[in-house]
Amino acid sequence: MIGKGLLKGLGITLKHGVEKPKTIQYPEQRPYLQERFRGCLEFDYKNCIVCGMCTKACPNNVLSFETAPIEGSKKKRLVSYTIDLQYCMFCNLCVEACPTNTLFFVHDFELSTYRRDEIKKVYIPPALTQVDAGGGQAELIPQDALEPDREAEAEAKRLKQLQAMKTALSKGGQKVLAKYVDTEEDAAVLANLLQADEKKRDKMAALIVDDKEKARKVAQAFVAKERKTQAGGEEK
Amino acid sequence: MEHLFTNIAQILTSWMVSLGLPPIWADLILLIGQWTIIVVIVTLNVIVLVWLERKISGFIQERLGPNRLGPFGAFQTIADAMKLLTKEDIIPSQADRWIFMTAPMLFIVIAVMLYAVLPLGQGMEVVDLNVGLFYFISLGSLSTICLLMAGWGSNNKWSLLGAMRSVAQMISYEIPLAFSLLGVVMLAGSLNLSEIVTAQNRYWFILLQPVAFLTYFIAATAELNRGPFDMPEAEQELTAGAYTEYTGMRWALFFLAEYTNLVAVSALAATLFFGGGQGPWLPSWLWIIIKTYLIMLVFMWMKWTFPRIRMDHLMSFSWKVLIPVSLANILITGLGIEFFRGMGW
Amino acid sequence: MSLMIINDLVFVLIASITLLSALGMVLSRNIVHSALALILTFIGVAALFFNLGAAFLGLVQILVYAGAISVLIIFAIMLVMHGEAHKTNRFNPSLGTHLWGGYIAAVMTIGLVAAIWFSELPEVKGRTVEDAVGLLAGLLLGNYVIAFEAAAVLLLLAVVGAIILARGVEEQ
Repeated sequence: MIGKGLLKGLGITLKHGVEKPKTIQYPEQRPYLQERFRGCLEFDYKNCIVCGMCTKACPNNVLSFETAPIEGSKKKRLVSYTIDLQYCMFCNLCVEACPTNTLFFVHDFELSTYRRDEIKKVYIPPALTQVDAGGGQAELIPQDALEPDREAEAEAKRLKQLQAMKTALSKGGQKVLAKYVDTEEDAAVLANLLQADEKKRDKMAALIVDDKEKARKVAQAFVAKERKTQAGGEEK
Repeated sequence: MEHLFTNIAQILTSWMVSLGLPPIWADLILLIGQWTIIVVIVTLNVIVLVWLERKISGFIQERLGPNRLGPFGAFQTIADAMKLLTKEDIIPSQADRWIFMTAPMLFIVIAVMLYAVLPLGQGMEVVDLNVGLFYFISLGSLSTICLLMAGWGSNNKWSLLGAMRSVAQMISYEIPLAFSLLGVVMLAGSLNLSEIVTAQNRYWFILLQPVAFLTYFIAATAELNRGPFDMPEAEQELTAGAYTEYTGMRWALFFLAEYTNLVAVSALAATLFFGGGQGPWLPSWLWIIIKTYLIMLVFMWMKWTFPRIRMDHLMSFSWKVLIPVSLANILITGLGIEFFRGMGW
Repeated sequence: MSLMIINDLVFVLIASITLLSALGMVLSRNIVHSALALILTFIGVAALFFNLGAAFLGLVQILVYAGAISVLIIFAIMLVMHGEAHKTNRFNPSLGTHLWGGYIAAVMTIGLVAAIWFSELPEVKGRTVEDAVGLLAGLLLGNYVIAFEAAAVLLLLAVVGAIILARGVEEQ
């Protein structure tokens, strides 16, 4: 019969038309990934023995690393390891070549970046920076690799100071506060006020640690306000 | 509800006459008003249709279609229209400038003019022309020239090839289109569309003229240049046929006109074969909208089901199958009318 | 402003568009432009039919003449397009041809004007034909059916002849 095939085709599209869509609404719904899915190539410096098999296996020169000799040993140690993912075709050859499972694929597949050099991943073993900080081989250390540690140290120092200041203020601390107000009397008033009000105390402590100039202004304002309320209370 | 719009029209006319306007001017103003409303509704409707088409193609391909902008992606087409409006209007330096520029305008004008005679409900046609059906066919034949102008004016080989194809296709399929409508005209005894609707009081003509409906449907798909008969555009081989060189709003006008034609052809099918505005409970203008949309859904369903057919197959199908079939249908209809008249029905 | 004046204005508008596009068709050097101007002329004539109340004839004019021009354009493109478009509809340079053409045109114009001038046109007033299509169909398929069918057969022969000329006949 003429047209039978056409009707059959219409039937098939109708059937598929009422079926549930097979697509995944990507940013909200995440796709199910198989265990061996090759997403981003990752590097774990702990296992690396600096054998160089991975760079030999790579067909696209994605992988590269820098080494330095260990004094008094034939071995080398890793200074930095670079994966330039923009050339990677996820062929798995480096992973197969690696004898210690240092290289592996993870499931993260959202690799796009805003700048071309952002896709290049540089791994610097933290052991190296510590050794170098003591050993004095400063030329091997990339400067920016050290900076996060310094920042962390400064942050820790600041926290310590803040904590000390808070405890000092809660126990009175007229001597500390005297630097920020004009008279001893004012310092006493401020100390009493801060002992009573925890919020103001914390604020004052933070200001003293971070910004001495601002702390002076705020302290004077606090005193003036306190004086005023006290005077108002007496009048009533 | 049934006489909602006709009553509004009457109230407006009498109001204008009471203001001291001569009746002929009141009629003219009302005509222009009706016409403007139809044009606006038809063009806004295209936004819905494009959304519907993309949704249907999505569902058939087990996707969701547009779903980001607004509820169920309903605002996607509006965003697309905005984009098209703001795009650069490129006219190729070697193009035949005037022809290139006027072709899309003429195309949309012809597409909108088709609505002048369509009864969009009982007593709701802009012009109650007594040769309405013939008007529809002869105006439809002019849209071929617009495509040809677009293809020629672009001065591009793909455009010209697409235009040549569309001329060959549309002229060939105009014949079965007109012949298939002749059976209906013979049964109704009139070319007036509202009289044809009235003639379907007892039976819808789809029951009496199923073959005519099939030939009309196939020929109309070809006339609309819709899939599976979309060789004139054929993105994969001709980039976009006659529309290749068009950008921005000019291209959007072609798009608009194609969907406007789709609505017109579907509404004509509803009028001629499915009793127009006839139906229980609901007012007639709502019925014709429902019927038109159902027919358009079938058009879309077909487009996303069938693969594009070959040009020579297309031509031989028209000349060797559709025209003989529609001629035979006219003969049988005539014999049947004479037979039943002889029986005294 | 009465209806008659509006009617006259519409007539003048349509007639001038028709005449201008006819002139454009003759004078254009691009054959495709000529063909498009011819379409406009035919549509203008159809509009004149509408203006006279003969909607059916106007639509026939559009369907048969204007609709078929596209085929003419296709032929023009296929047969004469070998070079630049603006040289496709060249004027014949010889003076004798110009003179002959002018002579024939003048004779025909004078003949037409004389025919209209000297014939007594009966004035038709207030009589509209209700079922013009039915009357026309009755005349074509009733009184003049033999002439009608003869014309149909002639056209069919022309089509078959054109196909044979275009594709050739395989020799047995």
